[in-house]
Amino acid sequence: MEKEYKLNRLETTKLMGPMVDKHWAELRTAKERGERVGWCSGPMFIFPYAMDMKCHFMAGYAAYCAGRGAAEQVLEAAESVGELLDTCSYHRLHMGMAAAIEKNIPVKEEVLLPMPDLLIIGRFCTEMSHYAEGLYRRYSTPVVAVDMPPPQDKEDIARLEKYVEGQIRGSLIPEIERVCGRPFDYDRMSEILSVLKQACTLRNECWEFAKVNPTPWTLWDYGVSIAPIFYMMGKPESVTYYTKLRDELAERVEKKIPVMLPDGENYRLYWDSWLPWAFLGKIIRSFTKFGAVPICGRYPWEFFDHPEDIEPEPDPVRNWVQLYYTKSHIAYHASTKGGIDLISKLVEDYSIDGLVMLASKTCRFWQGQVPIINHIEKKYGIPGILLEIDQADASFYSDAQVDTRLQALFEMIDGRRRVI
Amino acid sequence: MKDILDRFSRITADPYKFVSDWKESNKKKVIGCFPMDIPEEIVHAADMLPVVIWRGNEPVTWGHAHLTTYNCGLVRSFIDDAVKGKLGFMDGMILWRQCLQVHELPYIIETNVHPAYFSYLYLPATFPGEVSRNFAVEEFERMKRGLEEFGGNTITVEALNRSIEIYNRNRSLLRKLYDLRRKNPGVLKAKEVLAIVQSSMLMPKEDHNKLLEDLLMNIEKKEASTDGKKKVVLTGSLCQTPQAAILDLIEDLGMVVVDDDMYIGTRYFDNDVEVTANPMQSFADRYFKPTPPSATKGDWTVHWGDSVTDTVRRNHADGVISLLIKFCPPHLCYYPDVKMRLREAEIPEVLIEVEHEMVSLENTRTRLQSFIESIGGL
Repeated sequence: MEKEYKLNRLETTKLMGPMVDKHWAELRTAKERGERVGWCSGPMFIFPYAMDMKCHFMAGYAAYCAGRGAAEQVLEAAESVGELLDTCSYHRLHMGMAAAIEKNIPVKEEVLLPMPDLLIIGRFCTEMSHYAEGLYRRYSTPVVAVDMPPPQDKEDIARLEKYVEGQIRGSLIPEIERVCGRPFDYDRMSEILSVLKQACTLRNECWEFAKVNPTPWTLWDYGVSIAPIFYMMGKPESVTYYTKLRDELAERVEKKIPVMLPDGENYRLYWDSWLPWAFLGKIIRSFTKFGAVPICGRYPWEFFDHPEDIEPEPDPVRNWVQLYYTKSHIAYHASTKGGIDLISKLVEDYSIDGLVMLASKTCRFWQGQVPIINHIEKKYGIPGILLEIDQADASFYSDAQVDTRLQALFEMIDGRRRVI
Repeated sequence: MKDILDRFSRITADPYKFVSDWKESNKKKVIGCFPMDIPEEIVHAADMLPVVIWRGNEPVTWGHAHLTTYNCGLVRSFIDDAVKGKLGFMDGMILWRQCLQVHELPYIIETNVHPAYFSYLYLPATFPGEVSRNFAVEEFERMKRGLEEFGGNTITVEALNRSIEIYNRNRSLLRKLYDLRRKNPGVLKAKEVLAIVQSSMLMPKEDHNKLLEDLLMNIEKKEASTDGKKKVVLTGSLCQTPQAAILDLIEDLGMVVVDDDMYIGTRYFDNDVEVTANPMQSFADRYFKPTPPSATKGDWTVHWGDSVTDTVRRNHADGVISLLIKFCPPHLCYYPDVKMRLREAEIPEVLIEVEHEMVSLENTRTRLQSFIESIGGL
């Protein structure tokens, strides 16, 4: 009889739902309390946080919207105002939400947000700029923008860092000061970074447990647990959460309790690109029936994987940019070469058996997925597959495709294991 | 006139042969420049031939071993040509960060194609502020230094300004061509105009200028009758050439193209580069011009829809045909706003999706037939 696998959920991750709900509830009611609201794309959210603005985060909203089961409604609202199916689904979600507000299109109340006082573009990906440009054109919402290209080569990193820092000091900070009516709070930014450093240090201790075989947790669990890094950035709750998570994981490892019941995972996988929030449950079930667990990934590792690089003093602005460029190389990892560097290390550190790349139908931010599969296969002898779906639009999802590709991946892994 | 048009048509029908033959005869280096904003003048001033990278002439096969099928036709076709060795006559390639899909290319080119010279420019989004402008200047300087190293020659200000003048001359001749078409719609077929502009991207500008001067003299004498045909403006088609078959279809159905804002069109030659003591600043000035509005540059201060509306009004056109390259994210994101603005201005518009591989012409025919009926033609 075939073995039946089941995921053994963590207790700590159950705390996350109410914390996320609180973040969005506070954002929804911010204007009633006279607070400023910023909508952010890319990595610029720390700047409005430092000025106590309530802050929306582009990809985070997509996750929330999908998690609330509202993505389909909001995407339909977008289509009703002329958005096309091949357009970035994060872009469409925002256009759909704004259209729903303007035209009273019925969507779930909790995914409607207040229109922002300021749109803050971090043009890490070009679409992170296009959505704000579109919102400006339709609603005349003030915009401030920072272009932050992912470097293709290490030799490009230093000058791109200088370029990004110049824009933050020359454009972003003065505009936030104008909107908030007071000087930028560098001390508060340092405080946020201090707490972030603690949270990320604890989070990294949690990552260490994923190196154990059988693993006590999965990338799915970490996906749920990313929120303290950005929604709760700089708040003590983020440290409390990761302390609890670390303690639970330590206990599991000590007692040899695997996340994959009955006796641990069959396949340890790398996951590339966004997490597919709109159909995460379906994806998890597809993996679980094979006893497969994603352990690590480029996107989830984007959130400050080197906390030792976080230096709140003396210059928090410079340090923030350095995290993306010369120090932690977060921006570089989005490129093909940088991706190869990071993924090679993850494959080694986490004893990965195979790669699964979410090749989004509407987003091309995560570069080089096909060349990366080829490179890693050649270097480590482990196979990889593309899942051609989308991060938020369920209309691109096919159970049959996902199942067939996963089967193919696991057959390749099994075949290689037999040879070895 | 026919001879010149035939020549342009032959060049664009097989750019591989034309460019490789030219290289063989002239013993000069050829540098492929990705559309749409690389200052070709810098390559020209380095005594090399800049050619604008084009969409190939066969379906993508090998390329799909490197990229998913849902990248735009130009990116897929370019990689397909490159990994098949069809671009071996290019001594160098210059790409830039204009959209997410181009990000994919540097690694694939460097690891599979190994051109003797390769450069990737991070031309900035044209966000307000001196920092962006200065960074653009630095990128152009870096491009110049790279070409100097590769070519072994210093590129002087004088050489740059000579090249700028030659390119400005070409731009002014192309603008004159378009003026003649505006005054006399139908004087050339849309695909002929396309071939004229695209051949400028492939030939030495000096040669193209001579041919254009002769051609323009002939066109000035030519009369054309629109016979009650409906005048349309083409918009979109960023970066890549639309299929000539679609342009023919538009005309066969009783429309005449009076103007466009395509890249293989007015977008290529709309603004001159000023001759100054600091050519790099002049290139940045051109790059930062807000018009024609560009979907790739992140500029929210101008509206592409207003620009198309002005073009329609100026030409007393009856409608707009939007040519959307399948899987072109900047255009996809911008298109609804253009459509909305045209609707507000009560300008009829139809969207036609174009691909590298031939789309169903019958579907396109049906859409265009409905469109021309809606604007009172047929």
